[in-house]
Amino acid sequence: MNIHIKTAWDYIRRSPFQALAASFVLTLTFFVMTLVSVLVYSSSKLITYFETRPQVIAFLKSDAKDTEVADLQHSLSTDPHIKDIKYVSKEEALSIYKKATSDNPLLGQLVDPSIFPASLEFSVTDLSFAQSIIDNVKGEKIVDSVGFTAALGGETSLNDVVGRLKTVTTYVRVGGIVFVTLLFITSLVVLLVITSMRVVGRREEVEILNLIGATKGFIRSPIILEAFIYTLFGVILGWAVSFIAILYLAPTVVSYFGEIPVLPKTAIGIIELFGMIFVIEIFVGAVLALSGSLLAISRVKKAR
Amino acid sequence: MPEPETGIIHFKGVTKKFGQLVALGGISFDVKKGEFIFITGPSGAGKTTILKLILGELTPDIGQVKVDGFNVAGLDEKDLPRFRQQIGTVFQDFKLLPERTVFENVAVALAVIGLPEKDWDERVKHVLKLAGLTNQTDLFPSQLSGGELQRVSLARALSVNPKIILADEPTGNLDWETSDKLMELFEKINKEGKTIVMATHNMEIVKKYKKRVINIVGGTIEKP
Repeated sequence: MNIHIKTAWDYIRRSPFQALAASFVLTLTFFVMTLVSVLVYSSSKLITYFETRPQVIAFLKSDAKDTEVADLQHSLSTDPHIKDIKYVSKEEALSIYKKATSDNPLLGQLVDPSIFPASLEFSVTDLSFAQSIIDNVKGEKIVDSVGFTAALGGETSLNDVVGRLKTVTTYVRVGGIVFVTLLFITSLVVLLVITSMRVVGRREEVEILNLIGATKGFIRSPIILEAFIYTLFGVILGWAVSFIAILYLAPTVVSYFGEIPVLPKTAIGIIELFGMIFVIEIFVGAVLALSGSLLAISRVKKAR
Repeated sequence: MPEPETGIIHFKGVTKKFGQLVALGGISFDVKKGEFIFITGPSGAGKTTILKLILGELTPDIGQVKVDGFNVAGLDEKDLPRFRQQIGTVFQDFKLLPERTVFENVAVALAVIGLPEKDWDERVKHVLKLAGLTNQTDLFPSQLSGGELQRVSLARALSVNPKIILADEPTGNLDWETSDKLMELFEKINKEGKTIVMATHNMEIVKKYKKRVINIVGGTIEKP
């Protein structure tokens, strides 16, 4: 193996500009791949956040009895499409309001607690059932009105919000995947061209090695190793630059999205996420190196 | 009753054509183990074709070539490398790797046969000493004379401890004095038991070293 690594390294040293071209394209590919992976992760977290947090608020009439509230709560808990049911009393509602207006305490002092109705908050496991559930809840005699936590603008507004988010994330994912695929193909072509040039340039050497009894594997090994060196370099550098960029932007992003966990909040979480991306990219890089070099070798063989 | 195969190399009724040209026309001969033979003849007689048939680079159109018991034409593509590892070849144009040193050119043959790297140093130094190239180990082919290049080629052939050494016009590009020194080396190797088949049109060498001669004329063996 050492002789093959040395041979591959000698080829790289003798053709530094080819090596630079290959390394640059591969670094760019894996840089973008890392960014797209993080975008896909963040968008998934965004969707999950809006799908799972208390979405529906059923505001209760002021004369609703505790037993009636308990009955309704129990009835909702038996519905398989509903989860995380929570009763919010008037006092708790006031507390939430005060917290939301903590930057302007005067607003909190001017408000009478009695204006805040008690409510039942719950999440819908699938937004396709949301409308029927809302209609049922609205029909309950102790329910005054029904609203959404995401936007209190109307019955369809949460569907709109989540729908819009899903559309945006789909575009981001599809666009990201298309872009990464294009870069992957470009990298493959670059590797193919450089490897083909290497094989053609080694014709005399290959003839000599054949005559002294070298196997196909022996002859091909340095070429394949060279491709692996390029992709490994590209993976490490591309991943590292992305990692640093995202770490730099993380505080801004996290503070913008607030409680929405678009990025892991702990250091271990970040390391796990980027560690997983790195391992996947190493695998993708290995596939790229192997397929590019073997394709080039077979093409040159056919051409002869 | 079929003829017994008596040699380490056995040609039986071998014909090789290149298009309309008959390079070899039904030749038969044996080379015994440990023998040193010359294959002589004018340019284009078929000398190199015989060596290529032994090495498996070419296959006969008619007839059979057997080397150390193996029917060369019947070897699979995956068996051919292992077969060639048992044959050391010295080429007229040296066929050295220009971007590797003398040491590395010999060592690559050891890497090809799968010898562990820790054993390369001893083996390479031994064959380079035998070839009189102890002081040239770190030089590149471009820094060597014709005689030195041929000796590197021979050292590489010897390093794998082959049963047979094929030499295709090894003195073709050398002056008489250098040729003579090289031939002394071949003689020494042969005395150690290696079978040597040398194609040459250098009749002075043939006359001096008095080995069995297979003279090829027009693709057939000329009777003595």
